[in-house]
Amino acid sequence: MTALGILAQVAVTLVGGAYVFTVADRLMSASGTGVRSALVYPVRRLSFLLLQPVTTTERPDFSAWILATALLPALAAVGAVAIPIAGPSAGGDISAGLVLFGAAMLVVLVAVFIFGWAPNSVFPMIGGYRFAAVVLSIGIPFSLVVLTTAIPAESLSVGVIVESQSNLWYLVVQPLGFVIYLITAAAIAFWGPFDLPEGADLAGGIVVEASGVRLAMWRFGRAALMVTLSLMGQAVFLGGYLGPVLPGWLWTVIKTAILLVLLALTGRTLARMRVQRFVWFGWVVLLPLALVDVFVSGWLAL
Amino acid sequence: MNPGPLSYVLVSAFGIGAVVSGWLVFRTDSMLRAAYWLMVSFVSVGAMLVVLDAQFLGLILILMMSGEMTIMAIFMIMFMMNPAGLNPMTMVHQHRTSIIAGVGSFLVLAWVGVMAEFPNLPATTADPTVDLGEELLGRSMLIFESAGVALLAVMIGAIALVAKQGRFGDAYDGSQEPDIEVGTGSRT
Repeated sequence: MTALGILAQVAVTLVGGAYVFTVADRLMSASGTGVRSALVYPVRRLSFLLLQPVTTTERPDFSAWILATALLPALAAVGAVAIPIAGPSAGGDISAGLVLFGAAMLVVLVAVFIFGWAPNSVFPMIGGYRFAAVVLSIGIPFSLVVLTTAIPAESLSVGVIVESQSNLWYLVVQPLGFVIYLITAAAIAFWGPFDLPEGADLAGGIVVEASGVRLAMWRFGRAALMVTLSLMGQAVFLGGYLGPVLPGWLWTVIKTAILLVLLALTGRTLARMRVQRFVWFGWVVLLPLALVDVFVSGWLAL
Repeated sequence: MNPGPLSYVLVSAFGIGAVVSGWLVFRTDSMLRAAYWLMVSFVSVGAMLVVLDAQFLGLILILMMSGEMTIMAIFMIMFMMNPAGLNPMTMVHQHRTSIIAGVGSFLVLAWVGVMAEFPNLPATTADPTVDLGEELLGRSMLIFESAGVALLAVMIGAIALVAKQGRFGDAYDGSQEPDIEVGTGSRT
């Protein structure tokens, strides 16, 4: 596939996935508005934000603010490039694809931290610091459980990892890894119950000062991030494009949509965790469990 | 794989980017910008490694740098005399010493890079990551395992110092408000 084709594929996947995610989230959060209202909600919300004037603050770090807003969807796109969608080698199969994905997801920390810092305002800055605490606590378990799927496949290429699941999904072999992946993925996308950087207790945190097209871009970036994380989740744990009868790309779409709805559901139903407790949870619970996942998978692969 | 003209262009572009963003670290007046210009510099080096077919090394470098530079920014802001680091401040001091040290180390490193005879060892497998893994756990195992054990000792030491029940006592001592009980004068 040509570079332009991969670019188009990533763009379509992220925009389509972001739409599905926003609709699912709307259905979870606003009960009683009906399915039809939820289906047009993303378009209504986007047009509202695009027409809204962009407010600013006193002496913001303007270039950094814009850069951080653009960086978030860009990182989601970089992460998505590594994931084959329709079949083997269709859509950028990079030999170290898993590491590319991990690097893109951890640089999200930089985007969010700068986005909180740049407005020169208190609540966004506290939100940015909170996100640093969150990501530094779960960054290692996140990377460990993603890289563990490379052990049985003996490759860092996402395509090879998908192919190696033709007999058995890694969800069955590494259930612990899948659960840790979903938890840490929600935290990296600052999505509930780990939406600490923009919690209601911070009056909105990092997005307090964002409005108009900037807020629209940021919201799209977060939704695109959820899509990339779900894409990778289904590729390394749910067998990706492998499946009977239906074409490969449709299986990818179905599995990704299932993960997106699952994340939207848990994000809206579970109680938010305090940041101190979350840091404890990351270092004391998730990190040892991720190491258990590594050791058990390594032992099974020997 | 034979490097094409595009590889030369990309490596040069990222190399220039790394040097320029490294220079910008000292030209800015905000600690956050300084930290992240340094990160841009490292990311450019990582991109150079990716173009040179060392995908794993380059991407791991970028992966590590995001966390490291954020930690560095937080510590810089924490320890500066300028609360929260929100006000602009100059980022340079000891001009003469730093200029001599900078130019000197650049010349030494450039001399090593140009003059040293590097071994001609073409990759033995199609995937350089496999070569890297065999090197780390084969010929160079002793070096990397010693470094690993040293790092582990440092980590255990750091945890012993900062842990809640570490050698300096309960970490919550002094960080909690005393009980409000008129007349007792101290925490119970």
